[in-house]
Amino acid sequence: MAFPLYAGVYLQHTATIILTYLCLALSWDMLVRTGQISFGVAGFFGIGAYSAALTALNLKLDPLLSIAVGGLAAMAAALVLGLTTLQLRGMYFAITTLALTEIFRVIVRNLPGLTGGPEGTVLPSAIFDGDPTKTYWLLLAIALVTIAISEAFQRTRVYFAITSIRHDEMVARSSGLDIFKYAVFVFAVTSAIQGIVGASFAQQYAFVSPEGTFDIDFTLLPIAMCLLGGMHSTLGPIIGALVLGSVAEYLKLQLPYGHLLVYGAVITLVILLMPQGVAGKMKEQFVREQ
Amino acid sequence: MSALPRSRRYQIAVPLALFIVVLAWWHPYAVIEGVQRAGLYAAIALPMALILGIVGIVNLAHGDFLMLGAYLAYWFAVHTQGDPLVAILPAALGLFLLGAVVYRATIKHVIGSSELSQLLLTFGLAIVLQQTATLLWTSQPVSINTEYTSTSATIGSLTFGTYGFVYVAAAVIEFAGLTFFLQRTRLGQAASASGQNPVGARIVGINVDRVYLIVFSISLALAGAVGVLFLTRHAVFPLVGGGLTFKSFCLAAMAGLGNLRGILWCSLILGLAESLVSTSKEYAGWADLIFFVAIVAVILVQSHRRQVT
Repeated sequence: MAFPLYAGVYLQHTATIILTYLCLALSWDMLVRTGQISFGVAGFFGIGAYSAALTALNLKLDPLLSIAVGGLAAMAAALVLGLTTLQLRGMYFAITTLALTEIFRVIVRNLPGLTGGPEGTVLPSAIFDGDPTKTYWLLLAIALVTIAISEAFQRTRVYFAITSIRHDEMVARSSGLDIFKYAVFVFAVTSAIQGIVGASFAQQYAFVSPEGTFDIDFTLLPIAMCLLGGMHSTLGPIIGALVLGSVAEYLKLQLPYGHLLVYGAVITLVILLMPQGVAGKMKEQFVREQ
Repeated sequence: MSALPRSRRYQIAVPLALFIVVLAWWHPYAVIEGVQRAGLYAAIALPMALILGIVGIVNLAHGDFLMLGAYLAYWFAVHTQGDPLVAILPAALGLFLLGAVVYRATIKHVIGSSELSQLLLTFGLAIVLQQTATLLWTSQPVSINTEYTSTSATIGSLTFGTYGFVYVAAAVIEFAGLTFFLQRTRLGQAASASGQNPVGARIVGINVDRVYLIVFSISLALAGAVGVLFLTRHAVFPLVGGGLTFKSFCLAAMAGLGNLRGILWCSLILGLAESLVSTSKEYAGWADLIFFVAIVAVILVQSHRRQVT
């Protein structure tokens, strides 16, 4: 983990991007563990990014503090949305989140006085004056916290609550579990993570725009990573992010207009061929050989 | 395919009619534009609701199949210098066959598995279609101009485009055709039965898998045909389908899953609301929020109803 001290700027930059996607993938998976699926990762990512950029610019907030504000803003949005739409879960929730990114983009585009409208907003300087090593440490810290939260969800009472919701909602409900409360809680926490990651992204590039910040990449890649690595665990999304994140940079250079096709294909093929993911499949194989 | 009880229907129809009359007096263009939009949305939503009602799957790639139909017509019109509308039948046929292949290769395998897998699968398909289209045709919007799309009519001091009523006609024909198919034909009755109770349908000897395949293909064929109509008046680009999928689901959810007639009414309400906002000068950019607000409202009402009963 200390390798950036010896690595070049390009590698540091790539590692930072991989960590960004790792956090998004892991946070997406945490919500999937409750049986809910969100297609709105890019939306919360963008809310975090815009909130951080605008508070840093208009209120002269310290960049690190503005990142925290980004997380809070995404969490607040998730709470409002979760309290209204998580009552009906499943496809209703999934499709509402599917439209979410576009909705936030419309709002941002229509408030030019505040957000800079379609052109976006530029910050005077990037965080840490653009030092790639410090940015790497920041993302590493966020990733470690995300992993810790994910593990906490796997090891505490929350784990039993959310897995029982996923497996049998009726049983969970009749054992006195307030499903709704847990679902909203997990949705708020995971959206806060996505907001924080988006905020650091905005601070890192000192730029936010409706198209670039609410980019479908931030929804699509994390989902493909989780599926590839295997859902419902901490390790799966991490493996998926490391593998696909490294390939993603290469693909973007090779296929500038079609690299997203690969992720769509990954999602489709994994669902059809090995729903437990590549990592899950390998684990299964390993257990069988023992 | 249950409709609302008669008494409830009046509760909705009377205020809606009043609203339209007041609106027509105050802002006639909004009504004309709204009705035309409603036709388009209903024509797009009906095939999606068909899959939702009978196969029980949310097809998140619905709008992208429509986009494919539109591009087929564009390709046809550019290469033959002909009218894109001629491509309706070939597009429908092509999408029908594609539907059969897609069903066999993908959808079939997630029927009966978790909703999560179904959503992720059709989401993956949507991305594959969008990105294939981007690779083949770039992300530049394309459009075809034909003379008849700018025909207009004048009533009193009011001049308006009439071509948009094609969508209203398309929606009504589609609805009538689907209703006839589901109620009067043997295959359609088998489809309704499979939608209501797949296990029971299988017991009485219906080949449910084949019914699903045909229903899925019909839905895609209709989406392709509507896509051709869509092209005659709108610009088409690879990502155009996403918003249309969302709007279709909103209408299906608002009407009640599987209720085809309700889709006509709901699209009228939302089409009018949308055109009212988008024809106002200051708030035109906010029109895209109408459907989102509608779906959140539907979810609130339905979850409230579920808690009460």
